[in-house]
Amino acid sequence: MSDHILKDDDLDRAAAALKRKLRGPDASFDDRVMARVRAEAQPARAKRGLLRLLEPRQVRVSPAWLPLAAAALFAVWFAGTRFGARRLEAPAIAATAPRSDTVYVRFELRAPGARAVHLAGDFTEWRPDSIALTRDPDGSWSVTLPLVVGQHAYQFVVDGERWVTDPHAGTVDDGFGGRNSVIVVGPKGVVRS
Amino acid sequence: MSKDLPDGEVVPRVLAGDPELYRVLVERYRRDFGRIAEALVGDPDAAADALQEAFIRAFRSLDSCRDPDRFRPWFYRIVANQCHDQRRRRPAVPIEDVEVAAKETADAAVQDDELAGRLEQALERLTPEQREAFVMKEVEGRSYAEMAGLLDMSADALKMRVHRARETLKELLGDLR
Repeated sequence: MSDHILKDDDLDRAAAALKRKLRGPDASFDDRVMARVRAEAQPARAKRGLLRLLEPRQVRVSPAWLPLAAAALFAVWFAGTRFGARRLEAPAIAATAPRSDTVYVRFELRAPGARAVHLAGDFTEWRPDSIALTRDPDGSWSVTLPLVVGQHAYQFVVDGERWVTDPHAGTVDDGFGGRNSVIVVGPKGVVRS
Repeated sequence: MSKDLPDGEVVPRVLAGDPELYRVLVERYRRDFGRIAEALVGDPDAAADALQEAFIRAFRSLDSCRDPDRFRPWFYRIVANQCHDQRRRRPAVPIEDVEVAAKETADAAVQDDELAGRLEQALERLTPEQREAFVMKEVEGRSYAEMAGLLDMSADALKMRVHRARETLKELLGDLR
């Protein structure tokens, strides 16, 4: 600590000098922020895109394509039965089936350093904070929730800001240059993850 | 012009699915809070990082801004917290170690730089609350009424806070006489 005390006038002069020195960010700052804002807005737009895909719609199929369509449907059914036989092998997700149209699915992410982990997906309308995972002593975070039968896209949100795909699940293109984790839930459990 | 829209109209429209309109708020508050962030953090680049992070955090939690007409004080709290966090991550530099030009120089610009540099370093010795109040009042020149609105405090309490900040700074910078 100094033995001297600065005069008020000198302190005012120093404050005025500091004010002249301060510039603040230039206009290019706005573009950098907006680029990040657009990236942040993507999950919401991806959600809307996925919801559009799930909306019922009328599909017109030319009779010439009917044999191919039938073969494709058989392939999907066959793949479903194959995956269904090993549905509990997926390390991040386990399931039980209390009802025919709703299945309890357990989501798990190992993140010992995280302060909070949430689950966001089409089932939360991509809200990043509506489903909080609980931390286990070993640093794993988990939550079990009911999901209706069908395909679901999701991501984990770590510490409220980092979107992370499930390392144990498959991913799908979100249509905006990123990936979403995906699970397929059948009446008897998770069919594919 | 969308840039003239009040915050109370911009915020609901962004939430309704128009993220591009967020630029109105970015431009408005980059100008309004950019310099104060620089004074609070003490480094232009680190201050820009803090301000950018504040904008992103505000965007993520925009739906928790319950009164869009009061976006400004709500956002200022985010900016201030981000600046305090950023400052904590930077090592403090002793005032004596700041490189300064010789006092006897006749160059007023150099003297100003010296003054500003030493004040910036001295600001680090204040509490975050005192630093914030001093910068708003004495560097930015804001009124106590405006500060009271932003900080959600009484003007009298702010006057006392600025007074204490001034007394501490006058002692810290005593060698400048």
